[in-house]
Amino acid sequence: MKKSTPRVSLIKRLWLVLAVLGPGLITASADNDAPGIATYSMAGSRYGYNFLWLLVLVTFGEVFIQEMAARLGAVTGKGTADLIREKFGVKITLFAMICLLVANLGTTIAEFAGIAAGAELLGLSRYIVVPIASIAIAFLVIGGSYKNVEKFLLILCLSAIAYVISAFILKPDWGAVLRAAVTPQFILQPEYIIAVLATIGTTITPWGIFYMQASVVDKGVDAENYGLTKVDVIFGAVWGNIISAFIIITTGATLFLHGIHVEEAEQAAMALAPLAGDWAKLLFAAGLVGASILAAMVLPLSTVYAITEAFGWERGLDQKRSDAPIFYGLLLAVIFLSSLFVLIPGLPLFKIMLLSQSMNAILLPVLMVLVLILANDGEIMGVWKNKRYQNVFSIFLTITICAITIALFALQFKK
Amino acid sequence: MIYLSEIIGSRVWDAWGNNLGKCSDVLISRSDAVFPPVSAIAVNSKDGSTFHVAANQISSLFPSIALKVAGTDLKPYTLGGNELLLKRQVLDHQIVDIEGKRVVRVNDIQLAYSQNIYVVTGVDVGNLGLARRLGFEKPVLAFSKLINRPVVQSVITWQDVAYLEEKNPLRLKKSKEKISKLPPADIALILSDLNRSAGQSLMENMDIEVLADTLEESPTKTQIDVLTHLDSHQAADILEEMEPDEAADLLADMPRETSHELLQLMEEDEAQEIRTLLHYPPDSAGGIMTTDYGWINDGLTVSQAIEFLRSSEEAQDVEEMYYIYVLDKEEHLRGVIYLRDLVMAKPDQLVETLMESKPAFVLPHTSQDEVAYLIAKYNLLSIPVVDETTSKMLGIVTLDDALDTVLPTAYKKRLPRFF
Repeated sequence: MKKSTPRVSLIKRLWLVLAVLGPGLITASADNDAPGIATYSMAGSRYGYNFLWLLVLVTFGEVFIQEMAARLGAVTGKGTADLIREKFGVKITLFAMICLLVANLGTTIAEFAGIAAGAELLGLSRYIVVPIASIAIAFLVIGGSYKNVEKFLLILCLSAIAYVISAFILKPDWGAVLRAAVTPQFILQPEYIIAVLATIGTTITPWGIFYMQASVVDKGVDAENYGLTKVDVIFGAVWGNIISAFIIITTGATLFLHGIHVEEAEQAAMALAPLAGDWAKLLFAAGLVGASILAAMVLPLSTVYAITEAFGWERGLDQKRSDAPIFYGLLLAVIFLSSLFVLIPGLPLFKIMLLSQSMNAILLPVLMVLVLILANDGEIMGVWKNKRYQNVFSIFLTITICAITIALFALQFKK
Repeated sequence: MIYLSEIIGSRVWDAWGNNLGKCSDVLISRSDAVFPPVSAIAVNSKDGSTFHVAANQISSLFPSIALKVAGTDLKPYTLGGNELLLKRQVLDHQIVDIEGKRVVRVNDIQLAYSQNIYVVTGVDVGNLGLARRLGFEKPVLAFSKLINRPVVQSVITWQDVAYLEEKNPLRLKKSKEKISKLPPADIALILSDLNRSAGQSLMENMDIEVLADTLEESPTKTQIDVLTHLDSHQAADILEEMEPDEAADLLADMPRETSHELLQLMEEDEAQEIRTLLHYPPDSAGGIMTTDYGWINDGLTVSQAIEFLRSSEEAQDVEEMYYIYVLDKEEHLRGVIYLRDLVMAKPDQLVETLMESKPAFVLPHTSQDEVAYLIAKYNLLSIPVVDETTSKMLGIVTLDDALDTVLPTAYKKRLPRFF
């Protein structure tokens, strides 16, 4: 409504804030999904507070990238895939979509690995839980009724707050924590680099870009009321990363001190023992499974939407199955292939999560470059195009990720 | 057939065989023609600058681009301002396929050479077009021959293309005219498939009546989206044009302050009707009834009754009038008569002798399920709603509104585009 009266009541303003807040918070909660928790736990248990500086950097990165995606959505009213296709044509779109599909397939596998790890922590076999979960997820997504369980799962995700409380109970050396947050350190060693990439890739995700832009468009946010969305994006990213930092602090103050390296969920759960005692396993498993199921529902859907949008294929859960065969086929393929992968006997679940997130980071520059070009296009963005500092930081981040990737491959070859 | 993807990027040779650069776009200026002729091409010269070559200086576009004159003799082509750039503005964008009533993406553009000019014939929206862009057309065709299943060409003729992301108001108007002729339910589906900027440009300045009909067929979310992006006066006009029950449902879902403002902007009697409807729960007869229905006073003859309806301003607003309800002075329901019976009867017959005098009716608080049940039981097209205490007739529930509960809502109302 183009309001003729400039005065807006407090209640209405509050309602507006609540309506707009959301995409940012959801993507931020998804930072702490199973692969996220696994990555941070492994990093914290192995390298102590060392990763905190990286997390500060990555928080800025996430704010910049997500803000760009949200702005693209608000100004153009189009999805990321839509813009990529219109600007770059079919070939580059195909390349970008393959990157997105690979990254998201990897992350979906990681989510199912999270479900499997949570189940095994509670003494349940993954060969029973994962098939049941994947069928349930397929039904919930295709039936469109996952909205009903979304709230419940978000509450399970709140169990990540346990890390914040634990950290305060443990009373770590806050001086050391702060020092670690501002002193960049780097170890030129493949394992360390993989952990660095995983930390980047689990925080700044390819799917996060597409999801953010799509939800901003879907909410009908336009350039006029973009301000609130920007607040949501920044708040969401900062909030998500504060939780992530506390996972590193808690694992650093417990597991790292006792020389325990997280290899599987069993050890990772021990970080919550000072707070929850015998209930640590249950608490950890609840957070792991809740976040994983949530992400395993949103991820395949968002991936398939982007791909079908880019190529103009019939899409949407409102379409009849026979009218949108590619949409439904791809959706089911992503869900079931990912869950099948997790069932490979002897698969190290936590390692898979870490590797999938590193792959995310390696594929991220492709999409970042495309988004950067779009956000700098005066014809698309008008006065809303990127400011200089946004470009400088984003390009710096892109180059850094590429450099780290090259360093990783160089080290592998040297061996 | 020639395709745009085969022209873009190919080298431009002048009459002496000099390479002038690469073709970067193809322009048409009379895009409203059935087969719009190519008016010029854009050429990216080797030094990086772009210039245009008019169609009358081009001797061929395919298989290679050759000009009729030497590079030095080229007359500069001045842009007229109404050119459509096929690559930049149409290729890879969303368009509305008028014939297929759906939103599709342009994978390629088809041209033909006829009577010494190149014309645009249609847009390729199929997967073969995608394959051609990727350079896989031949393998795909060979493979389809191998498995003996011909690839379906999906080309939309240019006339059935409505392009909405337009800066040119004239062309935009043409596109809107084409879409406005479609059934409202199809426009609603198209609206939900379009990206927001295209959707908005479709709705701007669209005929209020068409827009109101389209919104009635749209899910609540789209309705609210559309109304909140319009100017309040225009939004109020649209609400007036909608069926009162649909308008009431919509207002009930909006923030109280907004709905209050819109009701105040509406004409008083329309607003009053909606206020009454807003009192009832949305799944009761009162919540789904409409207050527009055909009625006549009692005691009339058939010819008087028809005359009464013709001159009644209220009856003009009624969309479906299969039944005529007979009311007395206190607005009590006396009976109902089929419009058919009224038309077929002798003019001087009394309506009372023809009407059904004890029609089934429901109370405003009757549940929607019960209403649907009664309508099905008595094979009705609509059922009257009568006030419990005053016995006055309040409105009718039509078959389609009652069926909303019985039919799975997914079929009737589309889910939001994204989650």
